[in-house]
Amino acid sequence: MRSPGTLLLLLLLPTALAFKPSDFKTCSQSGFCRRGRALAARAQESPSSWHSPYSIEPPEFLALAPRQQGFTTSVYSSIHPNVKFVLDVIIHEEGIVRVRMDEEDGLRKRYNEAAQWALIGEPKLSDDVLWTIDGEKAKAVYGPKKDMKLVVDFNPLKITLFRHGKEQVVLNGRGLLHMEHFRTKEDSKPLEHIEGEGQSVLQVNPAAWFEGDTQDAFWDETFSTWTDTKPKGPESLSLDITFPNHAHVYGIPQHATNLSLPSTTGPIARHTDPFRLYNADVFEYLSDSPTSLYGSIPLMHAHSANSTVAVFNALASETWIDIAHVEKGGVETHWISESGILDVFLLPGPTPTDVFAQYAHLTGTAPLPAHWSIGYHQCRWNYVSSDDIRGVQNRFDEEDFPVDVFWLDIEYAEDHRYFMWNKKTFPDPVEMTRDVEAVGRKMVVIVDPHLKRANDYPVYKRASELGVLVKPKSGEGEYEGWCWPGSSSWIDFFHPASWDFWISLFKTKTIDGQWSWTESTDNVGIWNDMNEPSVFNGPEITMPKDNVHYGGWEHRDVHNINGMLFANLTFQAAEARTDPPRRPFVLTRAFYAGSQRFGAMWTGDNLGTWEHMAVGIKMVLANGVGGMPFAGSDVGGFFGNPEPEMLVRWYVVGAFSPFFRAHAHIDTKRREPYLLEEPYKSLVRDILRLRYSMLPVWYTAFRETSESGVPILRPQYVMFPEDEAGFGIDDQYYIGSSGLLVKPVTQKGVMEVSMYIAEDQVYYDYFTNHAHRPQNRHITLPANLDQIPLLIRGGSIIPTRERPRRSSPLMKHDPFTLRIALDTSGNARGEVYLDDGETYGYGRGHVVWRGFGAESTKGKGKGQGIGMVRISSVDLAASTEVGAYDPMNEFARSVGDVRVEKLVVLGLGKKPLSVVLDGGRELEWEFTSEGVLVIKDPAVRVVDDWAVVVQSE
Amino acid sequence: MHPWLLLVFALPSLAALDKTYGVPPSLVSKYVPRTKGSHQTWTCLDGLKEIAWSAVNDDYCDCQDGSDEPGTSACPNNKFYCRNEGHIGAIIQSSRVNDGLCEQECCDGSDEPSGVCPNTCQEVGAEHRKKTEAERKLRKTGSKIRSSYIAYAHKEKKRLEALVADLVQEIETREKEVERLRDIAERAESLSAAELERKKQSPLYQSLLVHHTALKSLQKEHKKHLERENALGDILTSLRAGYNPNYQDMAVLEAVRGWEALAGLPHINDVRKGDDGEADTTAEKPKTEDDVEDEGLWNAAKIEKELDQLLKTDHVTLLLEHDQLVGPASAQSLLLDISAYIPDALLPSYHSFRDSVLSALSVFGIGRGGAFDTSAESNRARVALSDAEHSLKLTQDEQRTANEDLLDLFDPDGFGPEGEWKKLDGMCLSKDTGEYTYEVCLFDEARQIPNSGGSGFSLGKFSSWNKAARPGELEYYTRQHYTQGAKCWNGPHRSVELVLTCGTENTLLTVAELEKCEYQITGTTPALCRPLEDEHTKDEL
Repeated sequence: MRSPGTLLLLLLLPTALAFKPSDFKTCSQSGFCRRGRALAARAQESPSSWHSPYSIEPPEFLALAPRQQGFTTSVYSSIHPNVKFVLDVIIHEEGIVRVRMDEEDGLRKRYNEAAQWALIGEPKLSDDVLWTIDGEKAKAVYGPKKDMKLVVDFNPLKITLFRHGKEQVVLNGRGLLHMEHFRTKEDSKPLEHIEGEGQSVLQVNPAAWFEGDTQDAFWDETFSTWTDTKPKGPESLSLDITFPNHAHVYGIPQHATNLSLPSTTGPIARHTDPFRLYNADVFEYLSDSPTSLYGSIPLMHAHSANSTVAVFNALASETWIDIAHVEKGGVETHWISESGILDVFLLPGPTPTDVFAQYAHLTGTAPLPAHWSIGYHQCRWNYVSSDDIRGVQNRFDEEDFPVDVFWLDIEYAEDHRYFMWNKKTFPDPVEMTRDVEAVGRKMVVIVDPHLKRANDYPVYKRASELGVLVKPKSGEGEYEGWCWPGSSSWIDFFHPASWDFWISLFKTKTIDGQWSWTESTDNVGIWNDMNEPSVFNGPEITMPKDNVHYGGWEHRDVHNINGMLFANLTFQAAEARTDPPRRPFVLTRAFYAGSQRFGAMWTGDNLGTWEHMAVGIKMVLANGVGGMPFAGSDVGGFFGNPEPEMLVRWYVVGAFSPFFRAHAHIDTKRREPYLLEEPYKSLVRDILRLRYSMLPVWYTAFRETSESGVPILRPQYVMFPEDEAGFGIDDQYYIGSSGLLVKPVTQKGVMEVSMYIAEDQVYYDYFTNHAHRPQNRHITLPANLDQIPLLIRGGSIIPTRERPRRSSPLMKHDPFTLRIALDTSGNARGEVYLDDGETYGYGRGHVVWRGFGAESTKGKGKGQGIGMVRISSVDLAASTEVGAYDPMNEFARSVGDVRVEKLVVLGLGKKPLSVVLDGGRELEWEFTSEGVLVIKDPAVRVVDDWAVVVQSE
Repeated sequence: MHPWLLLVFALPSLAALDKTYGVPPSLVSKYVPRTKGSHQTWTCLDGLKEIAWSAVNDDYCDCQDGSDEPGTSACPNNKFYCRNEGHIGAIIQSSRVNDGLCEQECCDGSDEPSGVCPNTCQEVGAEHRKKTEAERKLRKTGSKIRSSYIAYAHKEKKRLEALVADLVQEIETREKEVERLRDIAERAESLSAAELERKKQSPLYQSLLVHHTALKSLQKEHKKHLERENALGDILTSLRAGYNPNYQDMAVLEAVRGWEALAGLPHINDVRKGDDGEADTTAEKPKTEDDVEDEGLWNAAKIEKELDQLLKTDHVTLLLEHDQLVGPASAQSLLLDISAYIPDALLPSYHSFRDSVLSALSVFGIGRGGAFDTSAESNRARVALSDAEHSLKLTQDEQRTANEDLLDLFDPDGFGPEGEWKKLDGMCLSKDTGEYTYEVCLFDEARQIPNSGGSGFSLGKFSSWNKAARPGELEYYTRQHYTQGAKCWNGPHRSVELVLTCGTENTLLTVAELEKCEYQITGTTPALCRPLEDEHTKDEL
């Protein structure tokens, strides 16, 4: 949530540039990145003579059986002939190819556990592969249509995935693969000597043409005042991944940049540094930069009108990625990582939806969240007392603003010892929480990973006794760094003994006399911040890389996973508070591949500027590509005091994000929406109510993503993978499969926007019901401050609940409205998914999942429009195998009184003759001058099958 | 076909609601149907639409203004009336109707379908009456105290009026005296001016003037430096107290340590650890180090106290006295010198005699010339005049203040329309919150004082009443603003919003820093307890 070391200076010099580039490394300040880029530069200089020194010796390879899923073989390096490498190529289910390479019998072990934390399990092997070998290469043909082909070239080593004979992705095609082997400092001493002498002895090093002739930062590296001792020496990994036939690449969150990633090298480079993945607490980050931010997901989509493919490079260490869009149309990427084995998954596609499914197959999906957590969250650093919280809640209720969650930032905790209430300001934490819960709301309280080193702090004391704290480079004792509480230590969540301990802390009733958070309730959500980890006095505001974790791994090996483990354990802890478990809510700032399984993320400490508002949308889209859909940016911007216009627009951005939270820095003025003047106050009230009315849409979208992995916010290339003009668009998006298309305004003074439409279809203005047909593939909509560019795609049925309530649980029995937006052929479909929103009862079939359809039959006469429309509701749950599904399940019974109160039919064309409930009575209806048919209260239950027939002739 | 389909029409319906359900008594008369042929209709209250009478309270929103659904939640932004028999009827937002929660305001439970919420109006009513009674009592007691404040204001008024009257007279007398003395001084001056000019050419006098100017400049510079030093000290002290050691900014840490060494302060974090107090022992040291002084030289205290006095020395008088001391005795006239021969006991009366003679002489133009030191006389006259003028000014000031106080006394914008706040002028209230004590001296200044010692910060001076209300309204006096306090080292000037309610004591209840350096302090005072009979609807407590 906040700012590390630079805050103080910044405030003393308010005119200074906020982001301090000097706090963070550029590639040229990072030894292995320098080496990696130098390697690429050497290759570039001599394109004709350059070849990879890595090869496979064919004789070993002959044992491969045709039906085998893959093979393991030695790899030979011509520059280090005495070093042994081993390569592993396997084809898994879903056509996923996994390529692993490690040093064999080396001096030390490379970190090989990154995938283990990211994956939901060991992926199953494919049973449908046919290998053949010709002298130079091994080929595997697979896939249901046998259109996939994996080719492993032996010398030089190159791995290529083909679809329909077309190259999809190539590993080491540019010969930049390099795995620095372990060595002793002594071995390399003579060379170090040479380094000083200059060029004359260059020929002594036969590897120099490839590796260079210096030992650049092999054994230590100093950045600012910190020296990384690098006890293991050089161990970096360089790999080029090329997509010869795909012009766009997406993913590798988290960066504040365009969704379609721009070049970082080559003539059209937009950035000079590579994209960096190294979880970092960046103070006032830039709104257009390749610098690393709080989370890292090393997943990249490559996309063209013909196919989509992706790579998941399961690395946990600092990684830099150069991207070059090359003239002939493809994209060349170069991945440079500090440590770890090579462990790359190729996801074959061929559509974005397939890639999402394949990635979900590996790392899992975002589970269905607690329903309340998709409502509106009100946060501030800090609500200063329990009475403050009560006061804020009262104001929300007085103004009739819906809100589901109130948040407490770090100042609730005495001396920043998380869990420990400051009793002067929060004398009655449980009563306060209950007062919030009395209106169906929840509280989320922050628990950060740094523990104040104080023996009167039971959490630290117990962790210290258990010996589960991260160790300094000596490998002995406890690492000590500075964070909010002052001198702090960090639990090493890689240590299995920390797991039960952490889970025990969240129990709201004391068990076995162990300290636990009894001053809390089972409903409290948890906010995990600062888990990069943020260390104020550490290099790049994080832990020294030579710190030691469980198993002797260095922090450098596990850095990018560290934050995920913290959220993972907190999620488990919050879930284990009750028996049977209930869905917990955990918000994390740091994340990695797989973090989607443990809750929501937000884009960290953004600024209250239009640029940050705009890039926040792109970042949330990129996170969706990275498999982490439950995302949002702080509404209003964390830093600064947004003007009312900006705040209103930002509420729209928030209301159309999966995670919707307003937050503010301690130095800002209060900006709870009720403090706004009119008309802004009422505008925000309307936006909040709009979000709440659409919760059925959002929740249904969450259900879908929990199954499919397809993100909730869908950019153009995901919706229309063959429409090239849409591949670069990242300022408008569709919401799930609902058919809603929104383009939040992120600029000052805007009065209209133009939305890109990829198809010749009718789209309806959500608010005016006006039917638009795209002109030159665009629809222009008015977008004054009180207007939201929101369209319904023809062919969609949107379920909403239009009654304003104070919080989402209070909507449980409210009736539904269906907007039936007929497509150009007079048809539409949609769905709504409901469950209790709290338990895992949905796994036992305690759901209501309805499919809505509208089908038209043509009128009889020539040139006639629609003759009859039949609007119906069917049970979708019955047709899937959701546990032992029973339409009369407990949940369905509990919402048996819920009606569909209104049907709004768009696109009918002419006034109907009659509207009848199928098999029943005539219904009341109205046909407005805009051509909208409003059917009043058909008095049908949402849990039932029903049909309404609109007769036009 | 789904087996449930048979249930479709068995929906638990709200359609059976009474048409006036949720309608406030004032509107009940509007909820009557109009018979149109065989069916009954009803017109929305905004007159825009005619609907079937059966559509009223049928849980579907037909009217734009929501008036067809007074008893359900079907229309947004509607109001719902609960009768609350046995208690007082209440109006709630329609968003709270049928939401599964029993509203406190609707003790009759009418906001939810029957059977969901119990009717608690008996208990709630009793509780309410008890509470109202308690509030009434409090207000009664409070208003008694308040009336004593008003009485005080009236007494003050009388006192001030009497004072003003006295002062007017005094001013008159003093003005006359000033006139008289000015007359004398002007005459004496015209007599001596030329002579004085000649004497002023003395190199000694000229040098004295230069010294004077130099000393004055030096003092000015010295003061400037002292101010700068104080300001820097303040900055560094706030830095030391306010910096966050967690940020680990070495430059800041060095600045803090450097200041601590220079100012002889213990390291702040050692102090905060607190228990052992080890670090405090060094604190006194540096003071003694400066005590070594050069003999005869003024120390800081003397400079502070006496330099101003020295600079006020009247050089002209000095010049004349000097002249008398060094000039030839013979040049003195007998008349002027005669005092030497007069016995001490008679001296005062002689002097007054001589002065009047001299002034008489000068009035008649006699006694001019070297034998007679006119300059000294003129100077004395001038001093007397300026003394008299000063006294006059003081008296005038006193009168002005008294007049202003009088005006403020019953000014709705000042001490209230009844002067009820006058009594509290300057009264200091404080609240200990553990780490700090907050002190508000009403109509003066608010301060935050660390309990660990030190002088603390000004949180602002009284600047206004509640700007959101108008003077005279009770609401106006429920908030006081204290602004332009000490500047936060990384934020705005500190300020306080003092929120007051009626209570029998003048006391502070809570302190909260809702935004950085902006404090909200709550408290009570009898000054806000308006008498019960004074029940203007707007001014309800």
